[in-house]
Amino acid sequence: MLRIVLQVIGIVVLIGVVTIVTLKIDNMSADGPSILFPGGELITGELHSGPDPDWRFTDDIAVIDLQLDNPMSSRRIFVMESDGKVYVPSGYMRSFLGRLWKDWAFQVAEGDGLAVARINGIRYERQLIRIIEGEDIDGIARKLAKKYSGGAPDAVANTIKSINDGDTWIFEMAPREGATDAN
Amino acid sequence: MQTKSYLILCVVITVVWALTLLLVPAVSDTVEQLMIGFLSTYAR
Repeated sequence: MLRIVLQVIGIVVLIGVVTIVTLKIDNMSADGPSILFPGGELITGELHSGPDPDWRFTDDIAVIDLQLDNPMSSRRIFVMESDGKVYVPSGYMRSFLGRLWKDWAFQVAEGDGLAVARINGIRYERQLIRIIEGEDIDGIARKLAKKYSGGAPDAVANTIKSINDGDTWIFEMAPREGATDAN
Repeated sequence: MQTKSYLILCVVITVVWALTLLLVPAVSDTVEQLMIGFLSTYAR
C-alpha cells in the first residue's frame, strides 16, 4: 500500500516538475511572456519616439509586457497611471513564493533598471525607479486599489500599508536617463 | 506496480504531458491560470 501511495505522489510531483520546466523553456526565447512564465526580448511592435503619451490611456489596460534589459527577460504585469506618471507594481515581495515569483523586481533593485514596456503593441524604452516613500505613494496606492481591487476605502488602506510594509514594491517607468525626446 | 513498469509510465507521462503543453495552447493557458491563482493565494 505504501508503495502505491509513494508511486502516486511521485507521478504528481513529476507532472508538476514537467509542467514548470516545459513552460519555462518554451517561453524563454519567446517574443514576450506567457500568462505566468517570463519570455524573452520584446521584438515586435513599433518603438515609440517623441514626447511621452498621456499615460491615462493605461487605465483601460489590465496588463502590459515588461522587459528588463539586464538580464534579458520579460513578464506580464499590472500597470497604473498616477499624476501623469506611469508605474508598475510587484507584490508578495516578503514571502518565499513571492521572492521566487517576482525575482525581476530584485533584479531591477540591484541592477540598472533599463526596461522596455510594450503597451497596446507599442514599445516604450523606460528606466524603472523604485518609489519607496514620498507624496506620490498615496496617489499610486489609490490608483492601484481602484483599478485592481475595486477601490473601497479598506482596499486603499491595505494597499498603502502593503507598500509601506514592503510587501508591494512600486516602480516608476521613467524616461531613460539622457533621453531627449521624452517629457 | 513493478519498478520497471513504473519508470516506463513516468517516461510516457513526461512525454505526453510535455507535448500536450507545447502543442495545445488552451491546456497550457489553463494550467498557467491555475498556477497564478495558486501563487496569488499562497504567496502572501
